[in-house]
Amino acid sequence: MASYVASPNPFADLGRRLLAFNRVLTTKAPIAQTPKELIWALNKAKLYRYTPVLAARDRHRIPLLLIFAIMNRPSILDLRPGHSFVEYMLGQGYDLYLLDWGVPGFEDRHMKLDDYALEYLPRAIRKVKTAAECEEFSMLGWCIGAILTTIYAAMRPDEGLRNLLLLTAPLDFSNRNGITFARWTDEKYFDVDTILDAFGNMPGEMIDYGAKALKPVENYITNYCKLWDNLDDPQVVEAWHAMNTWVTDNVPMAGGAYRQLIVELYRHNRLMKNELVVRGKRVDLRRIRANLLTVIAEGDHITPPCQSEAILAKAGSRDKELYRIPGGHIGIMAGSAAPRTTWPHIDAWLSARSR
Amino acid sequence: MNEANEKTSKPADPLEPLRAMRDAYLDAMAKTMVEAVNSEAYAQATGAMLEGYLSASAPLREAVDKSMLQALQQLSLPSRQEVAALAERFTNVEMRLDDIDAKLDAIQLRFHPDGPASKSEPAPRASAAAAPGKNTGTRATASANRSRGGRRFVRRGVGPPQR
Repeated sequence: MASYVASPNPFADLGRRLLAFNRVLTTKAPIAQTPKELIWALNKAKLYRYTPVLAARDRHRIPLLLIFAIMNRPSILDLRPGHSFVEYMLGQGYDLYLLDWGVPGFEDRHMKLDDYALEYLPRAIRKVKTAAECEEFSMLGWCIGAILTTIYAAMRPDEGLRNLLLLTAPLDFSNRNGITFARWTDEKYFDVDTILDAFGNMPGEMIDYGAKALKPVENYITNYCKLWDNLDDPQVVEAWHAMNTWVTDNVPMAGGAYRQLIVELYRHNRLMKNELVVRGKRVDLRRIRANLLTVIAEGDHITPPCQSEAILAKAGSRDKELYRIPGGHIGIMAGSAAPRTTWPHIDAWLSARSR
Repeated sequence: MNEANEKTSKPADPLEPLRAMRDAYLDAMAKTMVEAVNSEAYAQATGAMLEGYLSASAPLREAVDKSMLQALQQLSLPSRQEVAALAERFTNVEMRLDDIDAKLDAIQLRFHPDGPASKSEPAPRASAAAAPGKNTGTRATASANRSRGGRRFVRRGVGPPQR
């Protein structure tokens, strides 16, 4: 029969655990540590080039530009040493660039998806092409970043985009019953203009609350129970600490872009209907010609799979692939299984198309 | 057999049944809550709460804005709107500079077709982590870090490590 050895001093043990718990919750873990160089900046946006780990002759010819959402920090792509997508891709020989949108201020409240996709992105891409000495490039867009890259790919199909990777891309809003955010932001209940009149930009805390409220018990209770149960496991604590550091670093969303997201996409599904107008021109998804990989997280509650599937049928690309993977919106790229599942698949797909 | 030995040698935690009960309860509660937040009633309730908060706080916000504006005027300081307008103009100037940068790059490329103007090849990291299943050589080439025709507006070396 199993025997239980009680702690000689349970109160000291409890005190030690409380201190560790408190440390993880109140301090910031060192994240986004991979060396990089700032090569371009415009307003709050910054373009970084990661320092390669392989010599130029061992690297892929086509550079890869990473585009993350505009209401979160892109540090999730480079979470912590030993568990970083950026680190992994550098090791696989990619010339890697990251566009960090920065934190919009009150003065940026009028910025729209148009500005991000057709003003900032093309300028950053020009710099990538110059730095990489290559007229072609690949682009990976994640979450709202995938919306921006999709708009760009459709509006600028002749500017050298060879490969387009979309991760958990919220593009199709037709299945309103399957998208909880669509229900919440219905015009019957949600007055987007009143909020933006009050705040200018959509506050990061409200966006964070919305994401967490989709799974309130997991995010507000279970998550902390898991940390408490694993306080003696340094690996779990380190991973939890890094993720918590990223999750609690909220970024507001520019008012103009937020209004478009809710009204034009969530309510009217204009992008998928080829009716979205940016800078006076219609975004026609049939004009996308880049090789396309869409990665879907089967357990995604923020961007349910139904939102990312239709792009395959709509895009004009000849080389298209849909990759489904178990996991959540963030977990597929930053979870413990990502280095064995998502990252190698992305690398295998991209390396074959980066020569 | 080994498994059985491991099982018996591992100390049993008297709190384990309580933990299992807690997890079962949380799982059940999680499912109920997911259904609850995905309902029209929840959407309606949160919408009403948000609207109530914004309507209730609007007069206070207006009063604060008004008094702040007056205070700033008294102190001869620019208002938030004025600073924001200035920042927008600054961004426009940055964009014009970026346009000029692009044109200069194009001109320079025309005269030096061998390489772009602001070409910069960072040297590979010598102490980089090995990547699985790939050439792990980290040969740092001294000639790699060349920068021909260093350009304004390309801020180098501001970064690593970020944060």
